[in-house]
Amino acid sequence: MLTKKLSTLHSFLLLASRRAGHLARQQYDVIVVGGGHAGAEAAAAAARMGAETLLVTQKIHTIGVLSCNPSLGGIGKGHLVKEIDALDGLCGRAGDWAGIYFSILNRKKGPAVWGPRAQLDRQRYREFIQAELLGTPRLTVLEGSVEELQVTEPNPEEPGHHRVTGIRLANGSHQISARSVVLTTGTFLSGSLFMGQTTSPGGRIGDAPSSAGLSYTLQERLGLRVGRLRTGTPPRIVKDSVDFSLVEPHLPDKHPTPFSFLNTHVRCKPEEQLLCYLTCTTPGVERVVRESLHLNCHIQQDTKGPRYCPSIESRVLRFPGRAHQVWLEPEGVNSDLLYPQGLSMTMPPDMQLLLIREIPGMQRAEIHTPGYGVQYDFVCPTQLSPALQVKSTQGLFLAGQINGTTGYEEAAAQGLWAGVNAARWALSMPPLALSRTESYIGVLIDDLISRGVTEPYRMFTSRAEFRASLRPDNADLRLTLKGFEEVGCVSSLRYQEAVRVRDSLQEALAALQTLTLSAPNWTKKLPNIRISEVKTTSLTGVDLLQYRDVSFEMLASAFPECLSRFTEFSQRLKIEAVYRFHCELQKKEIERIQKEENMALPQDIDYFSLPVSLSQEVREILDRFRPSTLGAATRLQGITPAAIVNLLQYVYHTGQKERGPRRNKPDHKEDREEELCARNASIPQ
Amino acid sequence: FIIFVMISVTVFPTNLLFCNTIFALSSGHGRCGVAVVRVSGPASATALRSMAGLTRSLPPPRTALLRSITEPQSKEVLDRGLVLWFPAPHSFTGEDSVEFHIHGGPAVITAVLQALGSMPGMRPAEAGEFTRRAFQAEKLGLTEVEGLGDLIHAETEAQRRQALRQMSGDLGRLYQDWSHKLKRCLAHVEAFIDFSEDELIEDGVLTQVDKSVCDLQADIERHLKDERRGERLRSGVQVVIAGATNAGKSSLLNTICQRPAAIVSPIAGTTRDVVETALDIGGFPVLLTDTAGLRDSPDLVEREGVRRARERVEQADLTLVVVDCAHLPSDAQEAAAFLLAHLKSILPETGMIPPYLSLSDSQLSLKAFQTQRVCGLPPVCLISCHTNEGLQDFVTVLHNSVKTLCGDPLSGAPTLTQARHRAHLQQCVTALAQYQQYRDTDLALAAEGVRLALTSLGRITGRVGPEEILDIIFKDFCIGK
Repeated sequence: MLTKKLSTLHSFLLLASRRAGHLARQQYDVIVVGGGHAGAEAAAAAARMGAETLLVTQKIHTIGVLSCNPSLGGIGKGHLVKEIDALDGLCGRAGDWAGIYFSILNRKKGPAVWGPRAQLDRQRYREFIQAELLGTPRLTVLEGSVEELQVTEPNPEEPGHHRVTGIRLANGSHQISARSVVLTTGTFLSGSLFMGQTTSPGGRIGDAPSSAGLSYTLQERLGLRVGRLRTGTPPRIVKDSVDFSLVEPHLPDKHPTPFSFLNTHVRCKPEEQLLCYLTCTTPGVERVVRESLHLNCHIQQDTKGPRYCPSIESRVLRFPGRAHQVWLEPEGVNSDLLYPQGLSMTMPPDMQLLLIREIPGMQRAEIHTPGYGVQYDFVCPTQLSPALQVKSTQGLFLAGQINGTTGYEEAAAQGLWAGVNAARWALSMPPLALSRTESYIGVLIDDLISRGVTEPYRMFTSRAEFRASLRPDNADLRLTLKGFEEVGCVSSLRYQEAVRVRDSLQEALAALQTLTLSAPNWTKKLPNIRISEVKTTSLTGVDLLQYRDVSFEMLASAFPECLSRFTEFSQRLKIEAVYRFHCELQKKEIERIQKEENMALPQDIDYFSLPVSLSQEVREILDRFRPSTLGAATRLQGITPAAIVNLLQYVYHTGQKERGPRRNKPDHKEDREEELCARNASIPQ
Repeated sequence: FIIFVMISVTVFPTNLLFCNTIFALSSGHGRCGVAVVRVSGPASATALRSMAGLTRSLPPPRTALLRSITEPQSKEVLDRGLVLWFPAPHSFTGEDSVEFHIHGGPAVITAVLQALGSMPGMRPAEAGEFTRRAFQAEKLGLTEVEGLGDLIHAETEAQRRQALRQMSGDLGRLYQDWSHKLKRCLAHVEAFIDFSEDELIEDGVLTQVDKSVCDLQADIERHLKDERRGERLRSGVQVVIAGATNAGKSSLLNTICQRPAAIVSPIAGTTRDVVETALDIGGFPVLLTDTAGLRDSPDLVEREGVRRARERVEQADLTLVVVDCAHLPSDAQEAAAFLLAHLKSILPETGMIPPYLSLSDSQLSLKAFQTQRVCGLPPVCLISCHTNEGLQDFVTVLHNSVKTLCGDPLSGAPTLTQARHRAHLQQCVTALAQYQQYRDTDLALAAEGVRLALTSLGRITGRVGPEEILDIIFKDFCIGK
């Protein structure tokens, strides 16, 4: 799979320029605006769903560009990459293709919080994404700038409700119509760049600012609430100017673990992986920050930046007198640059040079491109449905930084889900939600739409309540099967692989369960393992596998006849055995929440006149957040159990009315379809 | 800041508890010969077996059986009573259910509830949980469903007041302190999981957590074994008399208890402290409390009296607001507006308990208030403490309200709250053991233990969300890559 891609890369790129010139059609099912991580996944997902899709981006050669750090995954973020891959998205495979340094973070802390991560070759990553998109059937890529989002006048019966009809391009009045539009404008929505005391409009250095028309449509015509956030990126350092004898080299994993469930190995050979280096800040760095403060307008403003990815300025100001870590990361196999992670800064370029030269190993370092800050508008995500559709505008979907998140993985995850639902809307299928009980993507979307953001949102494992169940290793079992059977965004090839894996794991666990021996007999079989002698009862293979020092390979070599055929899954079986008990405990609670999440609250309810006993305070909260399900309502602050029961009752009653008096349902399948329709009907289309 | 404690605890994610079998006293307290304790959920049969000595077989469904009811571990006989077995789906909740009909004394009830709480998989029911389960199993008729929201509202309110009473003393401080420590433990473990690879989080962080978890476990266990149970808890329906100075509050108290329990004088600010009298009203235990008149006073002692008065009003099951009729405007509309504003100044904002107004030294021209509710006013009684005019009506109204309150098994029974607390603390200790079990092999599962511990404790002290944990992380550590 990997090698095939390489040979065809070049011809795809040629095809790109041809496609960009003239469009075959003036009407599409789905238009995706923006070619970043959210846009790429959205376009690919919509096309996989069967929708005729158009991706509009300023420059084709910046599709899939890594604007900031040259890395993918990490703790929490790695979970997202695995889940995107499980839903047949791009970034996992792109990471395997472009990775030049692989490591699993948190290796010692338990598989539920392992963080698969890779340093990437920027060029290879971009090329992979471009080749993938340009080779996707039903997907057209167009170079251009969107001037305006076209929407209908509000429906007089539902004031404030619009429907998307298409876009208008900047050059002339070229119009393209579509049933769904996905906006993934990143930091470009009213973006401004900051460096020292200079400010210029734009979302990324070297790219033209996006048009004001889009921002106008969102705020003035659609009445969406927006907020402002900031972020920043560090200067890029010339590799040859760093003294590597003064920094500490860090080695990658000896055996790189691929992100994708489809790959057994990554493109980069283990021994060809590059190194990362660790150094740290000094009191001199703090001095330069303080001396340049008056020249730094980005840092003086109080727009919210990320607490967990702060600029070096905010770090030394908040925690003075400490040495802060600085990682020097490779930018690519053939790149002459290093990315100094931890050194985002917005001071004037000459001060940036002074600052980095205070750091061990960088006393003679040269800056290739200075760091800068970006401030941009985001749309308050509480205005979105779980399908990432703007509640008041049918067919309009938002994904990525425009929703107030930070990070490639967070953007890609939303992009994929917005693309799926944009296609479903265009193809007249009911919207779908991912639950926070089944995926980190669900946690991400639910947090965004039910809580909103006050600072750029980043994924952490501590945000997931069901961390023991939502592991990176089982993302395929959680999502691939559903992705094929219910969603429609997964290829049958990947589905068949997931089915094979599921069946094999089940068989293997069953085989382990039937292996029952007494403690002394186990000791005979595995003489090196200390089995607690108190246990007089017999133990199964699953029990044994829970022992710290017992691996599946050991059991397989003791019982080769029944177990050796499963050694491909050794690690997964070990994890399953250890986590099984904890997942069982969580299962009941998960089922309860899913039940509540299946009870849709109509989006057009007037909570102030609802003939249900609710306090004014509760009505106001419900009106403000407009939870889409009863489950989402329970998670809102200030909602009482009594209010939930009253809502439950309301949903139950209206549900009964819609379904009519017929109670005898012929079979399960029809039952489910009926439920889907009922749910569909209660979400205004 | 602990208002709405019990309200928020039933909301996700504090429901993350591993116990799905619930129990509760479902008969009222006060004067009752027989108390009914209900159990519902998968572990019901086990509870019945081990507490009614039925090792071999379960009794026939829905048939009363006279058994000795014993403590499951010690086999000590707690009472002799009836047991009934309702296998699913033919029960109130649609789940396996058991009823214990026992003698109504508080000691027996407490013992049985504690025995149930000590069994694995069992926990005290949340407000309205039985009814909610019945609803979800489609076991309720439409009319029953209509009242469900109100019922749960009333129960949550009762629990909230109970919690407030318990949490305002030393016990409350102790629980809050544990909660605070546990939050920090969780924040530090989570920080170690989510950030230690990128950041300089000192290795000592986990060692500190180890110590805190160990200390907490020991503290809570010691507390659970302490038979003294801390402070004495006031029992009975809490009725508080409140109002402006010189409205006649103390006179009302003396009139109700038919003896001069409180000093009465025409001087404003006579009553400075809280005066409590235990009464029996129509057979129900009532703790009647007279409080200092609410006014801004330069006097330090009086100010403390006012603070205490406000505290009592917040914890009250029933508040009697006394107003001097001489202060009322003569026009009925204006008088209503005056009373509404007056009520607002006295009652806490969260007070959902319908208060009672009693107007001392009544003028009969104001009879309109008594006969009908005027724009949101609670029931009004007109009384003269000199002539005892209107007193009989007032006592009848008071009796009826106390009776209703006693019918609610949650009000006025501190032992129940104690049983709840014990069960949650026990779960907290168990969960902390999970941290220690997995500390060296799997930090994610160890953290799960701390999460569960905090969830259990959160059912007493209030829910803790992930954002709060992240806030502690960002305050304590320099995170940022």
